[in-house]
Amino acid sequence: MRLPRLFRTSSFRLTLLYAAVFGGSVLLLFGIAAQSVTGFMIKQIDAITASELAEVQADAGGVSTGALRQVIEGLTVRSPGIFYLLQSADGHVLAGNMLPLEPKPGLRALGWTHQPPEHHTSGGIRGDGLVLPDGAYLFVGVSDYQLGEAREVIIRAGLLGLVAAVVLALVGGVVMSYGTLRRVEAISRASRAIMAGDLGQRMALRGSDDEFDHLSASLNAMLDRIQDLMLGLQQVSSDIAHDLRTPLTRLRQRLELARQREHGVEGLRNALDGAIGNAEAILETFGALLRIAQIEAGTRRAGFTAVALSEMLDGLVETYQPVAEEKRQNLHARVKAGLHVHGDRELLTQLFANLIENAIGHSSTGAEICVEATSATGEVLVVVADNGPGIPAEFRRKVLQRFYRLEASRTTPGNGLGLSLVAAVATLHDAVIDLQDNEPGLRCWLRFPI
Amino acid sequence: MTRCVADAGLADSGPNFRNRQVDDGPGSAVAWAFVGARAVRILLIEDDAETAEYVVAGLQGEGHDLEVAVDGRSGLFRAAGEAWDLLIVDRMLPGLDGLALLRTLRAGGITTPTLFLTTMGGIDDRVNGLNAGGDDYLVKPFAFTELVARVAALGRRPQRTAPETVLRVADLEVDLLTRLVRRGGQAVELQPREFELLQYMMRHAGQVVTRTMLLENVWDFHFDPRTTLVESHISRLRNKIDRGRAELIHTVRGSGYCIRAPA
Repeated sequence: MRLPRLFRTSSFRLTLLYAAVFGGSVLLLFGIAAQSVTGFMIKQIDAITASELAEVQADAGGVSTGALRQVIEGLTVRSPGIFYLLQSADGHVLAGNMLPLEPKPGLRALGWTHQPPEHHTSGGIRGDGLVLPDGAYLFVGVSDYQLGEAREVIIRAGLLGLVAAVVLALVGGVVMSYGTLRRVEAISRASRAIMAGDLGQRMALRGSDDEFDHLSASLNAMLDRIQDLMLGLQQVSSDIAHDLRTPLTRLRQRLELARQREHGVEGLRNALDGAIGNAEAILETFGALLRIAQIEAGTRRAGFTAVALSEMLDGLVETYQPVAEEKRQNLHARVKAGLHVHGDRELLTQLFANLIENAIGHSSTGAEICVEATSATGEVLVVVADNGPGIPAEFRRKVLQRFYRLEASRTTPGNGLGLSLVAAVATLHDAVIDLQDNEPGLRCWLRFPI
Repeated sequence: MTRCVADAGLADSGPNFRNRQVDDGPGSAVAWAFVGARAVRILLIEDDAETAEYVVAGLQGEGHDLEVAVDGRSGLFRAAGEAWDLLIVDRMLPGLDGLALLRTLRAGGITTPTLFLTTMGGIDDRVNGLNAGGDDYLVKPFAFTELVARVAALGRRPQRTAPETVLRVADLEVDLLTRLVRRGGQAVELQPREFELLQYMMRHAGQVVTRTMLLENVWDFHFDPRTTLVESHISRLRNKIDRGRAELIHTVRGSGYCIRAPA
């Protein structure tokens, strides 16, 4: 038989365990209390009987049987709560309110009151006995009825406490399990909705900042990440569909035209060379798109290390100086030594190479191009600045998007993906990219956190 | 048009060159072709029949001896069981992927030089391939000249002997320890990057080195710059090495560059 769901939750099982532990402690606690209370009462009774015995002897002025007999007969009338017995050596009761006893000296406990049936009461007697020199036996005792009463009261209270504790624990367990179950159910419901295709669904947060809120927040962050990746994938697919269709169509037209018109080997060869060139450009665009998508997926972050930025930038400037010089441009570096960022060396190299190439490519003869790097509190700043045509303010955000090219640069070679790759690499490194007016020209800022 | 002819000055261990006449419209050009001292025996492990045919036809045309395995398991079996000069391994293979295949070979002590063919865009593929024990990689789709140059470079990889400290081509001398460069006894001043470039070309003297090979090995660039980066540096180097002297640095049309003694 399957238990109702509530009773199968882990918190309910935990409650049962707690109830058992609590019950055990209640029993232990009351056991100890009963022991100490009765122990204390026994000590008091024993003290009373011992002093009463001494008093009897003192009143009788010694241990003569006759005097004791008189004293006890008087006491039996005056102190009805106390049991007295004086019996002769042959076992006859001489005085007192008890039946004869076996003459044992010292403290003793009797299981019943040793009284004639008409006076019999429940409980036993604790008392002190003395064997006199002539063989007679003197005993003084007190009823231990209250002792039994006390023990019983404590045990009853203990059992009541036990029952109450267990009941409370079970009720609490049910309530707690129900709360837990409800929150887990809410998470499961949201997951099922997401599995069914509602990708915008998120786990509800209660705002209590408890472990369920933490779990839900983590799950939500994971879902956001997955959604980003899926959006990225959709973006790539639509980019490919959108921007590769045109060059592919052109390639096909070119081949068709060549088949119709070209008859000589020479002409066909030229057409083929052109087609291979087209295909290569398409493949390059395709490769760049995939690369951007992979960078955006963020998996490279796992391999981040400390990158010696200053050396990298100096090396890149040295590398590109001959290219700039061929265009009679002046490329120089103003890089503070010893700068480091946490990142991917290969991707950062490509990022800065792209920016420098952009500056060289879009600036005309005689331009000044400068790569600067410096550190500020908590960040490393890199600036690639040129005094070329720059980018009008309204387009500065757009040029970071895929395939976006300014009208003015449509004629220069490139696929419009250079700056979007720069943006993707910057984002991967949590770097902020900012395009500003260099008055004239473009000033491209990058701020890397350190 | 550059004319490269067989050079007797290269040592016996060096490669031989043969001229191949190419009908290139008006006039005829001489294109470079490389043939090792012996034909390089290559095992191509590639599941795509069309790519395999393309590679086989092309490399056989260059005088190499090729055989093909069409899946990972048979590739591993043949690579381990026979003697090869070079393995060309596709990254994605049915049965056993290229990385696992090469790791198994390397773990078994088989050190045959290996060229990986990887799919485009996989930015981690190169690192993974080299970590698995690959010697070089080529991103698909590749230009044929690129493949030919890589095969030539890997197929004649020198057996590890005493490391050379002075590289020589004709009267050009590069001392790797002092970093001094002399042409005809005269010292030539080179910038650090130019020295690296010259050193790489000298190590592959007599071979075609492609633009991509230079970018990867001299600059550690694993992307294609859109500027004339390599061309600019080569032209600077030429100015310093070849100006007013017999030409040592040759442009190989459609392929790359080659440093070798003048005919």
